[in-house]
Amino acid sequence: MIEIENLTMSFPIATGQLDVLRGVELELRDGETAAIVGPSGSGKTTLLLLLAGLEQPHSGRIRIDGVALDALDADGLADLRRDRLGIVFQSFHLVPSLTALGNVALPLEIAGAADAEARAGAMLERVGLGERGKHLPMQLSGGEQQRVAIARALVHSPPVLLADEPTGNLDLETGARIIELLFGLHAESGSTLILVTHDEAIAGRCQRVLRLHEGRLIEDAEAHALPA
Amino acid sequence: MRFLLDLAWRDLRASGRSLWVFCACLALGVALVSASGSLYRLVGAGLLADTRELMGGDLEVDSKAPLPADALDWIRARGKLSLVTELYTMLGTAAGNFLRVELQSMDANYPLYGTLRLEPDRPLAEVTAFADGRWGAAVDRALAARLGIERGDTIVIGALQMDVRALIVEQPDRNLTADWRGPPVLLAAGALEASGLIQPGSRVDYDYHVATEILTARWRADFYARFPDQTWEVRTFEDRSQRIAERLGQIASGLLIIAFSTLFIGGLGVFNSIQSYLQRKLGTLATLRALGLRNRRLAAVYLLQIGMLAGGASLAGCLVGSILALLGGAAVAAEVPIETTLLALPGPNLAALLFGLLTAYTFALPAIGRALSVAPAILFRDGGGELAQTPRSWWLATLGGAGLILLLVLLALPDRLFGFAFVGVIALLLLLLDLVVRGLRRGARFLDQPRRFRGRLALRLALANLHRPGTPLRASLLSLGSALTLIVACTLVVASLLREINLTIPARAPALILYDINSDQLGAVRDAIATADGDAEVQTAPLVRTRLSAINDRPLAEHASLAVDLDAYRDAVNDDFKLSYRGGNIDNLALVEGAWWDVDTPGEPARLAFEDREARRLGVAVGDRLTFAAEGREIDAEVVAIHRQKGLQTRFWFEGILSDGALEPLIHRHVGTVFMDGDVTFDAQRAIAEVAPNVVSIPTATLLATARRLLGQASAGLAVVAAVSLGASLLVLASVMAAGRSRQVYDATVLNTLGARMSTIRRSLQLEYLLLALITSLFALALGAAIALPLLHWRLKLPGDDLLWLGLLAAVAVSTVSLGLGARYLMRRLHTQPAALLRAPN
Repeated sequence: MIEIENLTMSFPIATGQLDVLRGVELELRDGETAAIVGPSGSGKTTLLLLLAGLEQPHSGRIRIDGVALDALDADGLADLRRDRLGIVFQSFHLVPSLTALGNVALPLEIAGAADAEARAGAMLERVGLGERGKHLPMQLSGGEQQRVAIARALVHSPPVLLADEPTGNLDLETGARIIELLFGLHAESGSTLILVTHDEAIAGRCQRVLRLHEGRLIEDAEAHALPA
Repeated sequence: MRFLLDLAWRDLRASGRSLWVFCACLALGVALVSASGSLYRLVGAGLLADTRELMGGDLEVDSKAPLPADALDWIRARGKLSLVTELYTMLGTAAGNFLRVELQSMDANYPLYGTLRLEPDRPLAEVTAFADGRWGAAVDRALAARLGIERGDTIVIGALQMDVRALIVEQPDRNLTADWRGPPVLLAAGALEASGLIQPGSRVDYDYHVATEILTARWRADFYARFPDQTWEVRTFEDRSQRIAERLGQIASGLLIIAFSTLFIGGLGVFNSIQSYLQRKLGTLATLRALGLRNRRLAAVYLLQIGMLAGGASLAGCLVGSILALLGGAAVAAEVPIETTLLALPGPNLAALLFGLLTAYTFALPAIGRALSVAPAILFRDGGGELAQTPRSWWLATLGGAGLILLLVLLALPDRLFGFAFVGVIALLLLLLDLVVRGLRRGARFLDQPRRFRGRLALRLALANLHRPGTPLRASLLSLGSALTLIVACTLVVASLLREINLTIPARAPALILYDINSDQLGAVRDAIATADGDAEVQTAPLVRTRLSAINDRPLAEHASLAVDLDAYRDAVNDDFKLSYRGGNIDNLALVEGAWWDVDTPGEPARLAFEDREARRLGVAVGDRLTFAAEGREIDAEVVAIHRQKGLQTRFWFEGILSDGALEPLIHRHVGTVFMDGDVTFDAQRAIAEVAPNVVSIPTATLLATARRLLGQASAGLAVVAAVSLGASLLVLASVMAAGRSRQVYDATVLNTLGARMSTIRRSLQLEYLLLALITSLFALALGAAIALPLLHWRLKLPGDDLLWLGLLAAVAVSTVSLGLGARYLMRRLHTQPAALLRAPN
């Protein structure tokens, strides 16, 4: 369960301050999929960063499974990301010094899992990169790098998956395959998915579509049926 | 071209101070090259221009006795002659101070070249003449300052009390080692005779200086042909020039090698600095190419920038180097009578400038080539510059530059052997380094397995950073490792020397060392010492100077190794071989082959322990028979053992120890050691001087103080050179770290985002730097020991392997501090908000 209460966020600018989020309210149940859409600069990525505990809101509160993020220190937030979150970035953000297998195994190793390598290998197989485990990120194409990033985000079976424009750096065809993979793996894992996108078609595949407009989160009237 | 120059300059100005590491690395290296080269030229030009003056003639005939009349007539018929009679002895002052000096008595023709300047400015003959019932003397100014004596004071030389009538302001042929071996005191021939110091067996040198118009080589050949059976040695000023040039060349080559090493290490800083600079310029490059600037012109822009920066940095380096060389030249000129000239500076500085430019281009070319090979389309789409490879043509140009540098290094080093050795060592070092880096990376990759370090993420990340592509391992080993190698080598040599000096102090070392005791003075000297300290322990041993005449009953001239080399033959024939008895083994000699004989077993011929260096030089081994000659007698001896001198603790340097009785008819002089309370050595010296003024007595404390002073000066010089080298290395390291910093901050941010705690990330960085420090230290210890231990063992005859821990300690301390500072700097940068970075594209 994700709960957002009266969340506000602003940034200082030359003429004063820019209010990016103004009293955002949201409640997502376990297993739901939600798309956050909106024009560039509307605060989509900011909202995602706040959800990941990577930025602190000016006011308001975020709870994940009942845990208030503002009550956690830096180590507590790191532990929260380790145990409950998986994140997929637009620019992949793989660690260049680690192989594909090493990157996928990272969340498990951070958690001290005994079978990290085996589980990472299996996850790589699931995203179709079983043969590329020993390759470094620079030796992979953009699409392959994003598949590694998705495997990394899901390898430790997090209850919540955050994805920020996962197809933004990919061509149409590769992007489409990545979205199939993402939704397919999500369906298997049953985690809550929050997806930031510009693409209405991708947003349309989510159960809920939330639009950021002038700092407020407005939900589309036509919501998809909730999972049984 | 003007457009490109203008564009290059404007672009460079807009880059601010981002290339300061480039400039600093190059300036430091060039400064050392310029300083070493300029100092060599300054001192070399000064010394070699004045060799005739420094030697006192075109030729010098050295003899242990006055030359006979026919030889003097022969010489006078072929040039102008001046005789300088020399003798080492003790000088005493009214205050009771004693110091070893070199008495010099010269005839009216002295000096044949240059001018002797005295204070007051009076003729030497007048100063040294017998007047008012006393002989006069002119003493070296440095000696006067050391003993606190002035004009008008009384000094004691042998049996004479003499007046100091003048100080020597400038003596053209003052010995370069006078301060160490004995400063000069000039006196008349009559005074020398009256001193009672010239007796049978006295070590008097008769140096006949000759000024001639005849070619010196011809003169010498004619002289040897005219007097074939004599052992007089003729040296020419060219010989001396050659010897000085060789010695100077070796010292300069050593300094230049360190300078070139520093410059090449600095080259790594140039490479890193330019690479970071161009990485930031990829956008500009893409824009210029998109606007239609052709590759060749674009390359010209950045090559011009390198030229501007390298030119400026090298000029600054030359300026600093010239100032250092002038300061060094002034310091040398204070010790040695040479005149330095600024005309010696342009050549070495031009060379240093050329080295600076070539080094900058050679190290910058791969980075420029790689930056220019990045396709503009990729740049606009994403930061894909890392994918580019340096094109082959740029690598070929780099190899060409490197080849040219090595060729110039060979031409620039005065000692060609040093040059080839340096190039060979560099090639070997690079090969070794490559093998070490490959091995370490393979080892790190092997260890970097989840199952090996389960739950130790920090260690695994640190290991991963050692074997990943672009690891700073190679650059760290090459830059910091080279400087640490120098530090380890210096630490081992200096620590070993200091330990040896300190070991000489304890009660086991004699307080006084005695030379030139006549046989009939032995009792008186013992009694005199007893008056100063009744408990003093005096050990004496005979010292007989001989010449080697035959090996295995064959004259030296027929000996295989000497028959073909006339100079080696003449050296062997003229060399003194100092022989003694084993007695109480006064000089602590150690046998390296054979065994000491049983003293109770008489034997014919006499048994001999021969010195290892002479044995090697002459090809003598245990079982050979040697014949020595002295005073018309011959001594036959069989080599039954080979001994080795005790390095710094050697006092008398005996070439041979004979079984008792073999030297008996030839013993006139003795040497001795006195073990006594250190506080009364001065009283003992005074008592000895009263009964035996010819006996030279040297307190060990004085020798040690001089040794410490010389070692201190050498250590200070080495410390300066090592510090500059370390400075350049740290700059390189800083550039390596700066290049890797954004990568490390990025990695840390991603890890933190994935849930790794900052404490874990910091620990992984600390471990990475600790591993680097440890590896670099061990690398430096191995190389430093490989340089220092053979030097200590073969050259200084000192042990050093038990001091390896000290070398390791120095290496670990310096590397830990250097890398620790780098890690601390990085930690402070790690506070960056992950969100801020993750907003930006990769």
